[in-house]
Amino acid sequence: MRYRQWLLAVGASGALALGLLSWAVDAETPLPENPDVANCNFTGDTFPNPAKPDELIPTPITPELLTSGQPCHQVANIVGLPGSDRLASLQRGFDFYSWLTFLALNSPDDDKTPIGKGPRQGGDAPTRWEAIKNYRQLGDVMLDNGAKPAWNTRVVPRECKALDDASGRKKMIVKLGEAAWNQPFKTGPLIDQNGNYALFDILMNEQMFNYVSNRGLYSREGQERFHEDIVFPMGANPGGIKQTGKPISGTAKMGAVMLKVSWRILDPEKDKALIPKFHTVDALVYFPGPPADKIVPPGTKAGPDCVPRKLGMIGFHVGHKTQFAPQWAWSTFEHVDNAPTREEVTANKLKPQYSFYKPGCKDCLGDNQTPPDPWDPTTSLKFHSDKKSQVVREKMLPDDVLKEVDEFNTQFRALLKGTVWENYMLLATQWPSDFASTTDCNGGPAPTYLANTTLETYSQADPVKGNVPLATSSCMACHGNATSQHVPATASDFTFILEKAQCENGRCGPRKAAVLASPFEAKRCGLVKVKIPE
Amino acid sequence: MTDFTRRKAIAVAMGTMAGAATAVSLPGAAAAADSDLAIFVKLSAALTGIDALKLAPDLDQKKAPGTDVIGIKHAYFAVASKDPAFPDLMKIAREADPNFAAAAEIITGKATDDIKFLGRSIILAWYLGAWYPPKVLQKGTRPGLTDVTVISPTAYTQGWTWRVAQAHPMGYSELRFGHWGDRPTSTLELTGKKLEEP
Repeated sequence: MRYRQWLLAVGASGALALGLLSWAVDAETPLPENPDVANCNFTGDTFPNPAKPDELIPTPITPELLTSGQPCHQVANIVGLPGSDRLASLQRGFDFYSWLTFLALNSPDDDKTPIGKGPRQGGDAPTRWEAIKNYRQLGDVMLDNGAKPAWNTRVVPRECKALDDASGRKKMIVKLGEAAWNQPFKTGPLIDQNGNYALFDILMNEQMFNYVSNRGLYSREGQERFHEDIVFPMGANPGGIKQTGKPISGTAKMGAVMLKVSWRILDPEKDKALIPKFHTVDALVYFPGPPADKIVPPGTKAGPDCVPRKLGMIGFHVGHKTQFAPQWAWSTFEHVDNAPTREEVTANKLKPQYSFYKPGCKDCLGDNQTPPDPWDPTTSLKFHSDKKSQVVREKMLPDDVLKEVDEFNTQFRALLKGTVWENYMLLATQWPSDFASTTDCNGGPAPTYLANTTLETYSQADPVKGNVPLATSSCMACHGNATSQHVPATASDFTFILEKAQCENGRCGPRKAAVLASPFEAKRCGLVKVKIPE
Repeated sequence: MTDFTRRKAIAVAMGTMAGAATAVSLPGAAAAADSDLAIFVKLSAALTGIDALKLAPDLDQKKAPGTDVIGIKHAYFAVASKDPAFPDLMKIAREADPNFAAAAEIITGKATDDIKFLGRSIILAWYLGAWYPPKVLQKGTRPGLTDVTVISPTAYTQGWTWRVAQAHPMGYSELRFGHWGDRPTSTLELTGKKLEEP
């Protein structure tokens, strides 16, 4: 009897365990948001002279750096080559970090070929950030019906299927929404010297994607239901060894990285001579067309349609949330032939050809002038008027930053000589000089202003008035105002990505205001505290 | 990834709050006498009541390392230094160094009218981001609209009036969206000084 009871007990326990196991498998397992990474690059811009520890040596810019990997966070010395000028020393460290980041992200996506050694002309190749195993485009995360996105699933609109490459290499699909052709603050499109629209695309890495996915932030309603602070995961670089000789504790993490890329359209025949100077992709530009329901944010006036285009990269923004830069580090690069500087125009020291400037142009707009309405592109992607953008790079950075960045550009571009990548340059890095400030939630952006001529064309410094706060481009001052679609709106941690979320099932109902049960919490900068990874 | 530890590359984690990071002092670095700009800032602190390290966070890298990205002190120094009474004002400050409170007392009390009103112009510059010329203030009447100039677009946003009031100028704020739902930053955090009870 006792044995039989024991058997019954075991059997019941087993059934219970199996039931529990089944429940555990069925329940959604959160995606890893900031897993350990094994290969952070912790190279700084300087290191102490082993013979004279008080002396700093600049890190040599050698081919080894091309394969040194991506930094998980900046390594910048408070006392560097500029000596006791703390601001200049840190700026140099951040700019060095930006170049390492650029090299790593734009290396071929096979994860073994060095940058510039790819199989295409000029050593070009599909880059790491173009591979969907590494980064996802905004259109594949914020889906039209607010549905949950899947990381490794490529989204191919019906109109693009026939044009898609059935062989191994898939084409990049650039989905047009207003953000894909209209500049920040809706200041207008950018039209190149061939009369084509410049196109923009936004991407995020897996850490950022998983954070969004786990919290349901991929739909408007999901954001309405999420009542907590939005704090994306941070990169941390503990592989370095401190000056004291003791290793920094903790594990290496990459943190959230978001990209904004700008493209110009290249005609394979007419622009044959230009193509070897650009990193290019063969893309499908998708026009979703106007939505049936006017309540849903508009798609495009033209379409639905899908057109193939060869795109050349003209601008590259990187936003990376890191330890000691919780307001993110903002790196921006451009193609060297986008536009001349104001000084070059004044001195008439001009190149024979630019993408967005023509000396003595008769059918161009005024310098940095917004093109005339209407702005929505047709499927030809040609601007409706014969007027082209005439872009001039205005001076927005202090002279010492310009000089230091120019030195880095000369050295890094020399490493990339003979490849398409020698045609790209760093503009600068904007970073929080006082990241723990409770009075300036943007963390004291340094330098104060920064603009990419292809991505913030019309927000550059006024040539007469100079830099005007909030009217002149600043990555952090602008992104610091980004909010979620929660009601009431909450800070979205320096990204406008969340405002692109669509409504569930494609139907937007009345907004749902939050009724918060928790008591009022004393906060700073919208957050209870700045969280540093453990 | 190339192993840069072979080169004995030593990375120092950057952080203004990372107290454990060791600054590397370079050979030949010696303490320099205070520059005119530093004297001007310290005098301004005594005149305005705002802590000198708030006016210029990079003022004393040894005791309180910091950065001054905006550097509005340069704009105010530049406009004040154009006044004919500026050298005399600075002489008073240098002679009183390090007792800038005493210098402020002389400037606002016993000094000549030219110096006295220049001192007031400097106070107003820091608080309002605008230049009230000493001659205009000397009239004792309300300045006309064309008598006063906003020193620069940046100066407009950096006026200490706003920080003392725990507010911000129209069209500009360094706080995030929704800050009105947060507990206000204290005057101590904003200005480096506690508000005294009346």
